[in-house]
Amino acid sequence: MGSEIKRSNKKYVLSAMILMLVIVVILGVAVGDVYVPFFNVVRIILKRWGLIKGTQISSAHEAIIFAVRFPRVVTAVLVGGALAVSGTVMQGMFRNPMADPGLIGVSSGASLGAVTAIALGLTVRNLYFMPVLAAIGSLTVAFVIYILAGANKKVPVLTLILAGIAVSTFISSITSMILLSFNQQNQIREFLFWSVGGLNDRRWEHVKLIILPIMIGIFVLMFFLKDLNILLLGEEEAQSLGLNPVKTRRILLVFSSIVTATAISVSGNISFVGLIVPHIMRLIVGPDHRVLLPVSLLGGSIFLVLCDLLGRVILPVEINVGIITSLVGAPYFLYLLGRARKGGSTF
Amino acid sequence: MSYSVLEINNLNFSIEKKEILKNLNIKVSKGEFVGLIGPNGAGKSTLLKCINGIYKGSGIIKINGMELNKISEKEVAREVSLMHQDTFMSFPFPVVDVVLMGRYPHIGRFKNESRKDYKVARYNMELTDTINLEKRHITNISGGERQRVLFAKTLTQETNIILLDEPTASLDISYQEQIINYARKLADEGKTVIAAVHDLKIAARYCTKIVLLKDGSILAKGTPEEVITRENLSDAYDVNSIVYRNNVTGYLDFHIIKRDRVRKQNIHVIGGGGSASGIMRYLFENGYGITTGVLWRGDSDQSFADVFGIETVICEPFCEISDEVQRVNINLIKKSDITILCNMPFGKHNIKNLESAKGAQKLIIVEDEVVEGRDYTKGAALTLYNELKQFATITTSARLHEVL
Repeated sequence: MGSEIKRSNKKYVLSAMILMLVIVVILGVAVGDVYVPFFNVVRIILKRWGLIKGTQISSAHEAIIFAVRFPRVVTAVLVGGALAVSGTVMQGMFRNPMADPGLIGVSSGASLGAVTAIALGLTVRNLYFMPVLAAIGSLTVAFVIYILAGANKKVPVLTLILAGIAVSTFISSITSMILLSFNQQNQIREFLFWSVGGLNDRRWEHVKLIILPIMIGIFVLMFFLKDLNILLLGEEEAQSLGLNPVKTRRILLVFSSIVTATAISVSGNISFVGLIVPHIMRLIVGPDHRVLLPVSLLGGSIFLVLCDLLGRVILPVEINVGIITSLVGAPYFLYLLGRARKGGSTF
Repeated sequence: MSYSVLEINNLNFSIEKKEILKNLNIKVSKGEFVGLIGPNGAGKSTLLKCINGIYKGSGIIKINGMELNKISEKEVAREVSLMHQDTFMSFPFPVVDVVLMGRYPHIGRFKNESRKDYKVARYNMELTDTINLEKRHITNISGGERQRVLFAKTLTQETNIILLDEPTASLDISYQEQIINYARKLADEGKTVIAAVHDLKIAARYCTKIVLLKDGSILAKGTPEEVITRENLSDAYDVNSIVYRNNVTGYLDFHIIKRDRVRKQNIHVIGGGGSASGIMRYLFENGYGITTGVLWRGDSDQSFADVFGIETVICEPFCEISDEVQRVNINLIKKSDITILCNMPFGKHNIKNLESAKGAQKLIIVEDEVVEGRDYTKGAALTLYNELKQFATITTSARLHEVL
């Protein structure tokens, strides 16, 4: 009966989170160098959708909101949700609460792609080059790891994790090599800026670039929520229950790689979202993926929009969102670890 | 009833060229409870996983007449369930949710568990005495409790064939018997159960059929009486054992004995009425060759000798020893290096055993109580006994080892 009650509880959690997301999105749009009052933002949005007729709203505000802030916040929503979803999937698939999307090499691959784009001087020519190369890099590395580990056959997940670590280390050293060959200060800065992870100056072009792959990827992953629960029992046990673990793992790996690669291609390597959001959500709603995954999706979006917001307001200078996620994430994570140690198993 | 629910033909399975299962042929009928026994590494778990389709070997496995390799995982899961050995979960699912996972092969991709699914799960949780754990987290219960929860999950899968891999491994004795007893009941109700069982006594007691595996091959299969024999246990486990029907419980039972491998002298034991059992056990464990007689059929010493496989000269109860039987006995005595006369009562029926003892190469008399109290022949036995004493070594049971 416990779980039946919980399930209705979970509906409240879901509605509450949708509401929260709406609020933080509006806040994220409102706050900045030029403050647009909260309700003005709402009015401007409603007006754009044709829901209310023209009122006395400054067109400058409208421009700021739609040209600058909105695309940035929407990018944050997409990237945060994507990272949290693939983090949840990784942790479930690897049966390990410490797993995150970096495990399958997407981050190191994206870095290599980004540094290549900078080295070739492509970033100044067109804003698409950086994200496209980063995405190609991360998917390629994920694919190489997948093949090397023999993950399309029956191998223990540990093999996959170890292969991931080995390949990632190898790729990172290539990235460092290229990085050290740079002789212009601004190239190094550009890479650093990217690799820390940030959302500054993200435009509608970026949103258009990532929205489809992320939405499709998450949509496909939503088909496998019950399977993720079953996989937590172990792969052989899952097969006894009628699930093909190799096939399921392949689908999960492919689509979570696509989702992660797409997200970090525009945001850079934002750390901790994929690790920490699933954790927090698991503490609130439990480990059942049928609830956990949708909730993590919303949680990731809220978390990243909030972190981006913080980065814009706490100091006169803007701080990259990747720095904020770590600054907030790491202490909170340690706090959770401490709680887990005291209370037996929180995870 | 000759219809086979499960048919395994020429099953071979190897991992990286190492043969784990060799040419197995097994047929199991509906309602049977098959116990897989054998030493560690014999291939019991591997065989179960092959039947479940987790490992794919060469050969043909048929489930209800369907070839295992030709049906989907989900179809297999609706016919066969397997309780794995050490399943653990690192995420805190409520126990009831874990049991409900057994419904997975019965529920469509986007459907949630129905009222009926909950009913099945709760029914099996009642049976396994885990209903009170329902809301607890699977990560926060003891190993034994988890084992019972997983058993409930396996039953919740509601399959015709139930495979159990060491289902009682981390359970308390009371639950061990309970789970196996319940498995037997399921078989009696028409399910088919195949279980890898570590405890041979439990296997002998509850299984309708036993398959003994060693090094991936079948050493023996059949009823418990046919399979659990002294020879098979010796071949499979390399132990000396005695197998017998326990007079108290009525079940097939066995006893593992240490035995010195160095063969010592042959000893003939004359006893009866329980006087010889302890001595024969001592001699057996220390590697002596033993013969005994003459004993009445059904005498406790005779049962003992039977269980230990000791050559015995027997005569019918309450009869005097015939001349022919006595001749056989004298022959054994003459061939033996030593003859031991136990602390036994003497009557008309066994006085000839005293006469036979005269032929001993070396005679040891065990005298725990004075012979006068054990003579029921009005002196005839006493005379013979005293004659024997002239050339015998006299000792007590406790000090027997000193004179051997």
